[in-house]
Amino acid sequence: MNPAPASARLRRLFGGIALLAACLPLPGLALPSFARQTGEDCAACHVGAFGPQLTPHGQRFKLEGYAESNGDAPAVPLSGMVVASYTHTSADLSEAPGPHDGTNNNFSMQEASLFLGGRLAENLGAFVQATYSDIDRKAALDNVDVRYGKSTSLFGSEATVGLGVNNNPGIQDLWNTLPAWGFPYTGTELGPESAAAPLLAGALEHQVIGASAYGLWQDRWYTELGAYRSLSRGLLSDLGIGDEAGRISGLAPYWRVAYNRDLHSQAFSVGLVGLTARLQPDREPGQSNRYNDIGLDATYQYLGTRRHVFSVNASFIHEHQTLDAAYAADEAAAAGHSLDTLHLDASWYYDRTWGLTVGLFDTRGSRDTTLYAPEADVGSRTGKPDTRGSVLQADWTPFGKEGSWDSPWANVRLGLQYTAYSKFNGARHDYDGFGRSANDNNTLFAFVWTAF
Amino acid sequence: MIRAPLVPSASRALGHGFVAILLAAAPVLAQAADAVRGADVFDANCAECHSVAKTLKNKKGPSLFGVVGRTAGTVAGYEYSEAMHRAGFVWDAERLDAYLAHPKAVVPGDKMKFDGLDSREERADVIAFLDERK
Repeated sequence: MNPAPASARLRRLFGGIALLAACLPLPGLALPSFARQTGEDCAACHVGAFGPQLTPHGQRFKLEGYAESNGDAPAVPLSGMVVASYTHTSADLSEAPGPHDGTNNNFSMQEASLFLGGRLAENLGAFVQATYSDIDRKAALDNVDVRYGKSTSLFGSEATVGLGVNNNPGIQDLWNTLPAWGFPYTGTELGPESAAAPLLAGALEHQVIGASAYGLWQDRWYTELGAYRSLSRGLLSDLGIGDEAGRISGLAPYWRVAYNRDLHSQAFSVGLVGLTARLQPDREPGQSNRYNDIGLDATYQYLGTRRHVFSVNASFIHEHQTLDAAYAADEAAAAGHSLDTLHLDASWYYDRTWGLTVGLFDTRGSRDTTLYAPEADVGSRTGKPDTRGSVLQADWTPFGKEGSWDSPWANVRLGLQYTAYSKFNGARHDYDGFGRSANDNNTLFAFVWTAF
Repeated sequence: MIRAPLVPSASRALGHGFVAILLAAAPVLAQAADAVRGADVFDANCAECHSVAKTLKNKKGPSLFGVVGRTAGTVAGYEYSEAMHRAGFVWDAERLDAYLAHPKAVVPGDKMKFDGLDSREERADVIAFLDERK
């Protein structure tokens, strides 16, 4: 998924900071090729019978390298996805979010993706996505997660250990708390985006390559350690990916620990995550901007007989920024900054078909009138990135269960999502210095999300 | 579910010998299995990996349609572990109960990733449910 031009402008301005919206979606889904490989239905691995929210069963499938199967002849591990949408904001944007879009009420074939998803060899599997964006009118390599996972015994207890390679910090995670797979699982790309989000919220997505080693011990204790480095400009260009984050100086370490329990009819987890990177905005040696993210997250799922499924996901990410490069380039009034983001969502799915989810988001950061300058729609009059609001989504997923029509070849989700902002980029009223109010950005998003 | 104790008047009428038989049967009566509850237990614990559809459908685990009374490791088209292939026993209620309680103890080395059902009542219920699926 590629960012809207407004976001790209701001990213350059801030020297590589991720300026994705506090709730910017990163679509992913239950791949029918996984279902064909395992003989299982989408609902086995995904809450609500559609991705990407994983059940404990889906977490284990991912942990073990997307490689488990029902032993049938190998299926072709290819899947497709199309998201078509309609976006309405309370007030028109001051300029169209894309060259082929209007300032409001946009219908869009938002994106079409092709996936290589499934088993490549014993214990080895892949989730590789290439996406055509109707907004940018171009195709690019999207999410990549290739992993090897194997069950074994460690210190006398069962364990699963693995190695993974991916291009988006957090995409390898098993829980739906980190931004890479967090709620909302799809959303508009044609609405306004808030001024700041932590590095873990997609600043490096698709522009890096990373490897990590992980293990789950006693089905409870999860640990992971890895590192990322930037792809070259030439390779990014070849893959259709914009060079927006700059270059990581050296390596960017990533770590994750979590305690997880699967009690069959319910499950919970609590964990910590960290990512640190020094980014050189223009890829030139010299001063850099340093970002140090640390996050706390927790999940709870009541699964029961799967007739009624309740889930709660929560995360808090604190980011410390030392923006030496931005300060030296007069793009920030001070080098030291902090940013805190809180996300909370709770969902109820009935019969793995009808879903209702409410999400809350709250971003707070230090004031800097240079870093967060006034600009129509996307800027800040107050020099603060603070953004708060809620998301309400209702959706219907008629297929994806055992015996569903055309299972396991196709699935679809129809949804209606409303995002309401009580504060945007530091203020409720005239937040951008051009008279726009936070609730002018309230967004109605209707979508048809298909997978085949 | 715990059944009500034997009625005292019945004890007197039937004599001590028969009462002894009934008392001996009490644990079984106390475990009176309920296939309806068993369907819920199956949905909560088994359905992601196993199908009970009449039309053969193997998932990551073999079809359990007709499992009660079947010889272990014999569902067509399913790739069993070597351990299950060699098991050779028939899935009767007693064997299923032991297996559902501690799968790895009954078939060491099998590939099923399930840590067991602790509740004896739930095991009895799900076995009753499986017994109906044939």
